[in-house]
Amino acid sequence: MIRHQVYISPNEVKVDGKALTIKSCGSAMLTDLYREHVGDYPKFFKMDTLSKVGFIASELLLNAEGDRSFDPREDRAVIFFNRNASLQDDTAYQATIQDPENFFPSPAIFVYTLPNIVTGEIAIRNKYFGETSFMVIDSFDEKIIMRNLENAFQDPITKSIIGGWVDCSDEEHFEANIFLMEK
Amino acid sequence: MDELIYTLKQQIIEALNLEDMKPEDIDENASLFGEGLGLDSIDALELIVMMEKNYGIKLQDPTQGKEIFRSVAVMADFIAKNRKK
Repeated sequence: MIRHQVYISPNEVKVDGKALTIKSCGSAMLTDLYREHVGDYPKFFKMDTLSKVGFIASELLLNAEGDRSFDPREDRAVIFFNRNASLQDDTAYQATIQDPENFFPSPAIFVYTLPNIVTGEIAIRNKYFGETSFMVIDSFDEKIIMRNLENAFQDPITKSIIGGWVDCSDEEHFEANIFLMEK
Repeated sequence: MDELIYTLKQQIIEALNLEDMKPEDIDENASLFGEGLGLDSIDALELIVMMEKNYGIKLQDPTQGKEIFRSVAVMADFIAKNRKK
C-alpha cells in the first residue's frame, strides 16, 4: 500500500499530489528545498545531483510521514530505479583524468560514480539497515518497478520501502517519482 | 604568509564545497578534521589532490596528511616550504 508520494522535476515539486511553492528551478531549486525543508545536513552540498534529488525527495516523503525519530531500523528498504545510472558523475570523473598533462582524479567525484550511492545516502541519514538497491532499466516502467518492490517484501524483515524512480542526466535535468510503500 | 593562508582557505572552500562558508569563518589554527571543520576521509583525499594541482606538491606517503592537515596554518607552512609552483 502506498502511503505517501513525492514527485520532483526541474520546475515542479509535488507531495502527495499537492504542488509545493517553489522559488527557483533546476539545481537552485534543490538547494532552496534543502534550506526550506531540511537545513541540518550540510553533507547535502557535497552530494552529486542524483543523490541531491533522491535525498530531497526522501526528506519530503519522510516529512510527510511525520514522527522522524532517526532510530536505527532494519525493516525499511530503499530501492530505486533509473535510466542514466551515474552517467553524469562518470563523465565528470572522466574529465578529471582525460588529459595526461592535467591528470588530477577527483576522489569526491569518484565516490559518486555508482548510482546506488543515493540509496546509501538516504540509509545513512535515516539509520536504515534494511535492503538498499538500485536497478537500471530502459525507462520508467511501473510494472517492473512494482514487481521488484513487491519481491522485496518477500523477506521476513522488510515492512516498508522507500522506492521508485530517481534519474538525472545533468545537474539541471532530473526527475524523482518516489513513494513510501508499506507491506 | 597571511596571503597564502587566505588563498588556501578560499581553495579549501571551493574544493570541498563548503557552502555558506567564507574564508573569514575558518580559524586557521582550528582542527580541519573532527571538532573543527568536520572534514572526512574523502575531503582529505581531495586536499591531497588540491595541493598537487595548485602547488605541485605530491605527498608520497598519504599518512603525512594527518600532520599536514592539522590546521590551515600548518598546511600553509608546509606549502610555503615545499611548493613547486
